[in-house]
Order: sequence, then structure tokens, then C-alpha cells
Amino acid sequence: MTLAAEPARPLEEPQHHVHLRRGDVGRYVLLPGDPGRCALIASRFEDARLVAKNREYETWTGSLDGEPVSVTSTGIGCPSSAIAVEELARIGADTFIRVGTSGGMQPGMRSGELAIVSGAIRDEGTSSHYLPIEFPAVADLEVVLALREAARRTGALARVGISQSKDSFYAELEPDRQPIAPQLREQWDAYVAGGAICSEMEAAAIFVVASILRVRAGGLMICFGAPDLSEEQLEADAARFNLDPLLDTAVEALRVLIAGDRVAAAGEGRRPAGAAGAR
Amino acid sequence: MPVTEPDGRLHHIAIRHGDVGRYVLLPGDPGRVEKIASRFDNARHVATNREYVTWTGELDGVAVSCTSTGIGCPSTAIAVEELVGAGADTLIRVGTSGAMQPDIRTGDVGVITGGIRDEGTSRHYLPIEFPAVADIDVTIALRDGARDAGIPFHLGVAQSKDSFYGQHEPDRMPVGPELRRRWDAWMAGGAICSEMEAATLFIVASTLRVRAGGVMLIFQNLDHARPTEEELAAADVERVIDVAIAGLRRLIAADRASGRRMEVAAQGVPG
Repeated sequence: MTLAAEPARPLEEPQHHVHLRRGDVGRYVLLPGDPGRCALIASRFEDARLVAKNREYETWTGSLDGEPVSVTSTGIGCPSSAIAVEELARIGADTFIRVGTSGGMQPGMRSGELAIVSGAIRDEGTSSHYLPIEFPAVADLEVVLALREAARRTGALARVGISQSKDSFYAELEPDRQPIAPQLREQWDAYVAGGAICSEMEAAAIFVVASILRVRAGGLMICFGAPDLSEEQLEADAARFNLDPLLDTAVEALRVLIAGDRVAAAGEGRRPAGAAGAR
Repeated sequence: MPVTEPDGRLHHIAIRHGDVGRYVLLPGDPGRVEKIASRFDNARHVATNREYVTWTGELDGVAVSCTSTGIGCPSTAIAVEELVGAGADTLIRVGTSGAMQPDIRTGDVGVITGGIRDEGTSRHYLPIEFPAVADIDVTIALRDGARDAGIPFHLGVAQSKDSFYGQHEPDRMPVGPELRRRWDAWMAGGAICSEMEAATLFIVASTLRVRAGGVMLIFQNLDHARPTEEELAAADVERVIDVAIAGLRRLIAADRASGRRMEVAAQGVPG
């Protein structure tokens, strides 16, 4: 994303919500939900600097292996995440990795395990403003493979699978106090039976919006809890919960993607040989 | 467990447990099963019942099978349920489809990463917001198989529809405007090809915890323009079979390297 090759032009207006202009971010952007985590993630970049801060959107840009990379918080939920992806793509970002926390959904999962999100349940309202509900929210294959390779390198325990992207945190945590409790419980049971591995609040909209914009997106979640863990176990897990495996693996995945994209660019264009399609 | 006859044969596909390998290729057309099985070693016909024809043979020393699903998700869901009951745990759809992007041409293949659930069957399994996603290892193997076979490929989402003529002749349908609107949305979302079975295959496989993927020959250009001579020559179903077999070999090799159990499951399905 160098500006040097482009013709001189007046400085464009910053994007409405993220307050960023072209050149402020790299093509690779990590997307945590929490603005408070941006500095922590950016500390893993070289020469990281704060570029903008507005509402729940905080952005830092630095570099990895000589390539500009950024981190932008999305805030909680699909509505604010869709805005972040739209505005970041408009100023040149084309590869997104959601990085965050989630609840484990399958028995046998351990707190601290990483979930590499290959697809997302569209249990939210935002993505239906883009595509009919039958369209699957699917992660980009190259991003999924990069995350899997990164987990192998960092040695983090990880599994690939589907996340539930929900709109209500408390409906998932305390379904029984909601008027539609039976429906919430029934849906949850169906998602678990379908093999969903983690519950979070942003991936589905990020994947669907990325599909339309023809940019790449994936997700890496650290899981807390699982259906078969006891209260005592959960308390013990909470005491030693550590984000390092998540953040180290996400940053390593960017390195994998950067290296792969360089090889592809040296070959025949930006996409890997043979992959003639748009994605 | 699927419905089984007193003689041990599964109700629709008419095979017994152990009659198939854990790897099964799934064409729609029963007429293509023998053609695909001719690529196996020691291929033998196992059963024919309704639209379900099954052959079993070997590939690189491992038992592999081919079973036709018939057209559409209802018969495909039955095939998947009963094949898994018979011991299969890796299912690869192999078929033909129409292009949904201008740069995708007749003779290319589509390696399917997910299916648009534009059909009725998968709703009997999971709520509609659940994504129909292919298994990542099967998808990688098919992508690498396409590279091995030297055939241009596209990775992406397929539209799985219930009505062939609703897609081909939308304007004569009473719901024509809606069909056109939705088609445009699928294209804008980046769908690569249109077919009739993948979404249900992926959803049923998710609920049964088995692996599924799909590779489709592109048989028709987006604009319905007459294919060129070159494209016609390329639109040979042998091409997609080349990719499926190369992908299956990749998968068998990867499973072997990872120490995955290679024999036919003796007692149901792992996981």
C-alpha cells in the first residue's frame, strides 16, 4: 500500500467512523472487539503507532517482516464490525483476521484452546442487510490455512470449526430469563449438534461483508469454558486465563500470509497460481 | 441409525455395513458411477437400487467407493445418512454445474468451500443461519488435486438449488422476479457455481461429524453464450473425475501421514 506510485491528489476525507485515510493502514488488519486490546496487539508489531481513535474504533499501524500491518477494534457486535470492515476495505485493507474471546461449545474443549473459525452461524441481524440468510458465512481458505499453520508454529492447542455469531451476550449467558428462552435453548442445542465450536459476536458479518467486497477474512478465537466443565474448573481457568497464545498465533498467521502473498506476487499476480477465481 | 432391512441392507442404497470404503465419491448421475469406478483398482459393482448405484474398489491400497445420489438434496441426504451407516466417513461430491461469475468458463472446475442453502432439505437438520461448510482437509486435497491435474480451478461457494428449471428459465416461473433477485445476490456475494446437492451434503455431514467436500465441472457459461470449440473440448466430465481422483489420492496420503486409521470402520463411525 505505497502512496508513491499514485498520482498526487488532495488528501481525501477520513472515513466517517474509523477516522482513517488511505495509507493509514496496511492491507493486513487484525480485528479485536475490545479497543483496550489494540495497544497490546500492536506491541507485537515493529514501529507501531496509534493512528486514530474514534468511538469504539482504535487503530494502530506498524510492520511485520517489512510489511505494513494494522489492528483496528470493531467494538462489540456485528453492526459496528460491518462498518469497520467496509471503511477499512475502502482505504486499501484486503485481509482481515478477527481476534477475540469466545465461549467453548463442544464437550471436551478446554479453556485456553484456540478456535480457527472456518464459517459462522448467522445468528445476528447485520449480515441479512447484505445477503439472504441461505448464503453461508465462510472464512477465506488461505486465511484459515495460515491460522492453522501459525498454531502449529506457536504450539497452541487449536481446532478448526464453526462459530455461533450472536447478537445478544446475555441471551446466551442467561437464556432462561429471556421471554424467548425455549427458542434460545433449542437453537443453541441445534448449533452444538451441528458441531459449532465457539460462541462469539462478530464473525458472521465480517465474513459476509468480506465476501461481497471480495476481500479475505478469517477468525481466531480463544475459548473460555465448555459445556462439561464444572464451576470450580471454570474459576480455576479464569484465574490463569492468558491471551498470549491467541495474540501470538494471530500475529504469526499474518507472517504466514505475508510470506505466502510475496511468493504468489513473485509468481503470477497477487493470487496463488491456479486460483483463477475472485477469492 | 439408518433404516436397515432384515437381510442387513440399508433401506435405500441397498448395501451392507462394510460394502463401502471410508472414502466415497458422490456423483449425481447413476450413469457416471461405473465411469468413475473404472479409475479404481479391482472395482466391483456392489448394488443398484432406485437412483443409487454403488461400486467399490481400491486406490493406493485403500478401499474407496462411488455412490450416485440422484438429483437433488432429498435423495442426497438419504445417501449420506446410509453411507455413513455403512462405514463411510469422507464424502466428496463430484458433478457438473453452471458458472456464476464471468471469469469462470466451461471446462474449469469449482472446488466448493460452502453451499448456499437455497433448498429445503437441510432445514430439516439445522436452522437456516447455520453455514453449510466443506471440510477444510477435503477442500485442500481437492484444490491440490486440481493443481496436480493441471486444470484451472476456482475456490468458492456454490448455490445449491432445488429447481433446475427455476434457475434456467426463471421468467416462466410465477416467482420469477424473486428468483432473479436472489440469483443477483448470490453472484454479488461471490458464488462460483450453481448445482443441486452440496448444501445438504455439508449440513448432514456436519451433524454426523464426517468430512465432506465437493468438486464441480463448470458445464455452462454465466451468459449462456455458446461455448467455444476449445471450451466444448474441455467440458469433458473426465476432467472433474481427474481432479476428484487426484484429490482423493492427496487425502489418502495426508491421512496416512497423520496416522489416521485407514481401514474401513468396523463399528460405525469414529467421533
